[in-house]
Formats: sequence, C-alpha cells, structure tokens
Amino acid sequence: MSMATAEEDLSADERAGLALVRESGGIHQSDFWKELDVNSRKGSRIVESLLEKGFVEREDTVYNGHNTYYITLPARDRDFSLLLAGDMLSPFIGDDITPRSDSFSRWIMNLAYEEYNDI
Amino acid sequence: MAFEELLEDPVVQTYLHELVGPRGMPVAAAPPDGEVTDEELAEDLDLELNDVRRALFILYENDLASYRRLRDEDSGWLTYLWTFEYGKVPEQLEGEMHKLVDALEARREYERDNEFYLCEGEGVRYEFAEAMDFGFECPDGSPMEPMDNGHLVEAIDRRLAELRNELNVEIEA
Repeated sequence: MSMATAEEDLSADERAGLALVRESGGIHQSDFWKELDVNSRKGSRIVESLLEKGFVEREDTVYNGHNTYYITLPARDRDFSLLLAGDMLSPFIGDDITPRSDSFSRWIMNLAYEEYNDI
Repeated sequence: MAFEELLEDPVVQTYLHELVGPRGMPVAAAPPDGEVTDEELAEDLDLELNDVRRALFILYENDLASYRRLRDEDSGWLTYLWTFEYGKVPEQLEGEMHKLVDALEARREYERDNEFYLCEGEGVRYEFAEAMDFGFECPDGSPMEPMDNGHLVEAIDRRLAELRNELNVEIEA
C-alpha cells in the first residue's frame, strides 16, 4: 500500500493535475487538459505519470461521442468514516438487511442524535 | 506485518472486526507478509487452531484471503497456504459506501411518505396504519403520540450529501 512517490516529489504540473482530479472528484481526460490549460499531449503525459505513481486511476469511456478516459482517485483516498454513525458501522456490511431493518434504524438514530447532535 | 498503513484506519479495523468477530480479530489484524499456514498462525498468535481457521475462512468468503493447497508426498496430507488479500479492502469499503447511499435514499423516501406514532413507554414506533389498528393506544393503555421524524430526515439528508460529494455521484431524479 505504501506509495512509491510522495506527493511533495510531484512536479508542479502533476500537482496541479492531481488537485484538479481531487476537486472535481472525477474528470474526463478531454476536459482535464483543457482545464489545466495545457495541450492534449502534455495532459496525457501528466495523467500517465500520476497513474504510474498510483495517485489516480482511469477507465475507458465514451464522452461527447469520443473515446476518452475518465480519471478518478483510487478507492483508498475515500473518507471511509462516512460509513460510521457515531462508532457504529453501516449495518449493511456483512449482513443481509433492508433499508427498513431495525439495525438500520439504530444506525440512523445514532447519526441523528450522536453524530449530528447540532441539528 | 503487511498492510500496516491500511490497518491504521479505525474504519478498516471496525470493518474487519465486524466480519471475523472478536475471536478472529488477532488473525485479521496482523496479516503476515507472504504465505502462511493456519498452524503457523495459531502458534504465532497463541490461538486455538479452530478460531484461526474460522477467521481465515470468513476472510476467504469475503475475498480478503486466498489459499493454495499442497499435498505432502509422503503422508498424503494437505497443507493450506494462505495469503491475505487486503489490497481489496478500499474497493470493498467504497462499494459499501455506494450501498449505504442507496439504502439512505430508500429510507428517506419511507420516512417522508409515512406518519409515525410513538409509544414512549416501550420505545416503539408505529406506522399510521398500524397505529390505527391499535386505536392509537399503546399496549400499556396510554395514548400513542404523533412523532416528528424531521430530525431523522435531516440527518439522512446531511449524510447523503456528504456521501454523494465524496463518491461524486449525482442526485437521483
């Protein structure tokens, strides 16, 4: 899991690219280079480098009728604490329950009265 | 030990605990580098072999461990060599976040579409139709009180917004 390259070691272009992916949550490669205000070749070089270093992931997609890539952050960068209500984990994990199950009611109560007690 | 960085995340720890339970947790929390047998794990961790096997099997069922079998040529015994596959944990948790979004959306609709009545004494909530069947009277004879669930809906909305933002998913029409 350890990252081969630290974020501080990225070039200025790579850092700008990574910031753009983070900000957007996910972006098509054809928009990526336009937003960064570089040409498409340079844009794809930046993406390739970020991919190789493990900072982003990408998949094939069709966008505005063209084949391009969709660039996203790797799953490990997600904020998994959103699965918690207080210290209770989402009850859907490991159990076959429905949105009306009692265990989910308790989770939502925890959310409303413990975690968001400012509402 | 492998996957140290990942295992520092308290959510990952809670997740593993949820899957394997307290007795399996020593196995799940300390994945060794490379392959290992159940007997080695039981000895290293000073655990019952059955607890180790149970934990490994749960991890296997959840795609978090794999094994290959070796047959000892002399005795004919099979040895299971286990590998921990925790590289899949982030994708699985991300999948759980998507599942939670769907569940919260469904639950929000249910909360919005129904009126609820509460029996404070027993701490039980009834849907309107159920409450009517009971004549709006609790088992202890006291009247049921209408319950305002706006607070719950607000909490659901807030978490949905956070999850959608994090997962970059659109609001369903």
